[in-house]
Amino acid sequence: MKLPNWTREPLVHFMALGAVLYVALTWGGTQPDPASRVISVGSAEEEKIAESWTLTMGRSPTDAELDLAVDAYVREEVLYREALRLGFDESDAIVRRRMVSKMDMSASLAAETAEPSEEVLRAFLEDNPELYAGEASANARVSFDQAVFSSEMSARAAMARAQVKGDATGLPRNVSTTPMRDIEAQFGQQFAAGMRGLEPEDEWQGPLASGFGWHLVRLTARNVPEPDFETLRVSIVNDWRSAEIKARKERAYETLRSAYRIDIDR
Amino acid sequence: MRKAWVTLACASILAIGVVSCSGGEPEAPPEQSGDGTDTIELAEFPDRPYWGDTHLHTDNSVDAFGFGTRLGPEAALRFARGETVTATTGAETQLSRPLDFLVIADHSDALGATRRLYDAPRWYVNWVMGDETVLRWYDMMHESPEQSTKAIGELISAAAEDRIPEAMAADAEASEEATKDIWNTQLSILDRYNEPGVFTALAGYEWTAMPNGNNLHRVVMYRDGSDKTRQTVPFPGLQTTPPQLWEYMKSYEEKTGGRVLAIPHNPNLSNGLMFQMTMEDGSPMTPEYAALRAWAEPVIEATQIKGDSETHPYLSPNDEMAGFGVQGWDFGNLSLSEMTEPSMYAGSYARSALLRGLTLEEQMGVNPYAFGMIGSTDSHTSLATGDEDNFWGKHTGNEQSYEDRAIVPQNLGTREGRFGWHYLAGGYAAAWARGNTRAEIFDAFARREVYATTGPRMSVRIFGGFGFTASDWDEDWVRKGYTSGVPMGGELDDQGDAPSFLISAMKDPDGANLDRVQVIKGWLDASGAMQEQVYDVVWSDMDTRRRSGGKVPSVGDTVNRDDASYTNDIGAAELRTTWTDPDYVQGHRAFYYLRVLEIPTPRWTLYDAVRFGVTLSDDAMADAVAQERAYTSPIWLKPNS
Repeated sequence: MKLPNWTREPLVHFMALGAVLYVALTWGGTQPDPASRVISVGSAEEEKIAESWTLTMGRSPTDAELDLAVDAYVREEVLYREALRLGFDESDAIVRRRMVSKMDMSASLAAETAEPSEEVLRAFLEDNPELYAGEASANARVSFDQAVFSSEMSARAAMARAQVKGDATGLPRNVSTTPMRDIEAQFGQQFAAGMRGLEPEDEWQGPLASGFGWHLVRLTARNVPEPDFETLRVSIVNDWRSAEIKARKERAYETLRSAYRIDIDR
Repeated sequence: MRKAWVTLACASILAIGVVSCSGGEPEAPPEQSGDGTDTIELAEFPDRPYWGDTHLHTDNSVDAFGFGTRLGPEAALRFARGETVTATTGAETQLSRPLDFLVIADHSDALGATRRLYDAPRWYVNWVMGDETVLRWYDMMHESPEQSTKAIGELISAAAEDRIPEAMAADAEASEEATKDIWNTQLSILDRYNEPGVFTALAGYEWTAMPNGNNLHRVVMYRDGSDKTRQTVPFPGLQTTPPQLWEYMKSYEEKTGGRVLAIPHNPNLSNGLMFQMTMEDGSPMTPEYAALRAWAEPVIEATQIKGDSETHPYLSPNDEMAGFGVQGWDFGNLSLSEMTEPSMYAGSYARSALLRGLTLEEQMGVNPYAFGMIGSTDSHTSLATGDEDNFWGKHTGNEQSYEDRAIVPQNLGTREGRFGWHYLAGGYAAAWARGNTRAEIFDAFARREVYATTGPRMSVRIFGGFGFTASDWDEDWVRKGYTSGVPMGGELDDQGDAPSFLISAMKDPDGANLDRVQVIKGWLDASGAMQEQVYDVVWSDMDTRRRSGGKVPSVGDTVNRDDASYTNDIGAAELRTTWTDPDYVQGHRAFYYLRVLEIPTPRWTLYDAVRFGVTLSDDAMADAVAQERAYTSPIWLKPNS
């Protein structure tokens, strides 16, 4: 049997589920009265308080500690109920924001816990290659020798000599198969940008400018990893999820908003 | 009809939320969810400083949320890793350089309190009972929070003073559950972004004890993966004391075999309570207390947005570079409920606390204040910004869209006297580690091989030992330092000779040149009195900037006040020296740490003034240029017993 198209609409699923919940809750028996002025702390409550204490401290509370925890519980309960009675929840900007945020979260929770299929992730990688180009570039491993000079002129002059010897410095003279992210941290962004423009060869190249001066560089190897699905999987899942959450929030909001008429007076 | 439809749609959203709540977070692979041991190749010795922020708040912190932050832990992690994020106030932003590690330190109390509002049963009850709540709730979705400006103003200061409205307090059990729920979710997110060798996401939170508005806050930070951290929940700060926190930490380690440490911050706002000569209750300190504290708190946060805690001019009158980030913070405690007396300063600043530690060690045999130093942000925007030219404010209420933020009074923890320009842009923590994993970064903190900066990423080394010479620089001096001496955070046994030090500072490669490197020495003299001395040991252009009257002349100032620019025509890219203590006396208990100064550069206030066309007040203008700096952890010299 072929079901009509509308049965496959997520919105229909969404509303059907809501209807079920609505009915269940409406017929769900008597609700506790929030205005009640009785606070019972029986052995069940006490056990829960003790449990949470244990969870925090990693051991059971002593009798005295438990008494204190029960007092704190009662105090909070009393003040909380009184605050509700006084309507503190209604004029509270933080409460409002929390509830709005809760709505957003409700809309996106499904995305936060979803495990996307490999197909979905591969498609995401294909659609967003720019997200992973930077990663590959930061992971590129380079090997090079370098010498630093205080001026561009002295660097150029040194290039002509057989032996390139720079100023005394704490920067390493030789670097071996090191990720570009470490090079950038140590030599700075300007130098790293210059390095990206060089191709490996046997000769000294440069000079490249940095915060430390002018560098001659002999780049002997650069190994840029291919964007590999397996090694990128976790990043892709993170990125996919971020994008999905954003989209779902927007869809949920649009659905709700469409039920409103918004009058904005200008 | 329309109303019914909307009701139904919302119930659907609820249904999805409820159903998927039980699903839990997806699992990260084991190399990401563990402590990182055996995941990457490690260097033989720590080979570079890794940069991080151990003190970042997200929308899980009740005050951050109250200030308006809408970015959560995930956005915080993406931002710290260098990705572009849209700030709460709308603009896209990015760090100029990624950080290497991050501790999201949301207030532990807030975690429970805010989640109370998510307490579905009560909420369902109201709704199902058919009162006006549902309607109000829909309205809320479409109104701007700015409408209740007055309420926000009151709530912001309430949150800052930990007078969270009682309506948000939770009953104990629900709060515990909620805290656990948020904590576990957070741990899963951390695992997903924790990538050994690339970026380290450490578990942690802020323990926010503040008796009478005096700041005793600590950031709690874990070494372990989520297999262990799931076995605990954040320890509440309200109505608990530091020794209880340490007991909680001990229990965690015994139960899980894991490791945890605590990082005190803002002693400058503690009115002398952070580093007392006694225990909290005023009784004499016991060796047990001192040992527990030293074990739990190997590092303190010495500089951050809410001021700098290295030292105060009152305590260090002969230190002409003292007083950075002091103004505006030194006249009262965090909430300004109590003014500060100068007699309180010694318990509020790092240098005097290190000195007190020597005295207490002399008396008891244990030093409770043998700590290293780091910087961090304490940003409440989910954005770990420490750079002056990219400052996103203490909280969302002073992000960049609030163009006059530098000159207006700030309500954060204060009603009067503290202005926007008193806030610093925040600092960073540097950790010398053999690789970028949870275990390696944590262990660097535990052995105090860490240092503080006020934002710039200068690379600073110090090795202490006996017999280091100038010729050590010609060979592999790092190896020599590690094999025949100790790095920052280490201890030396007095052997009857003056200790010598290999000292190296390289500028932030993308930042300003260096002015000078200073050794700060603290010691107990023969009478047991606490002494301190600042030595200029190496500075730029030493052949032309000769000492006169015992002082090194100022490095100069290239900052153009009209366009917030500076040049590196002054200062040095790199400074290093071998230094031997000229005033060594055998048997004196002492510590030595470095302070590295940059040349003057614009503060965030000057960038704001230029970008937004804001006119700074005279006071603010006088403070709009500063010499940013680094403080290393000390090396201690101990009498040979």
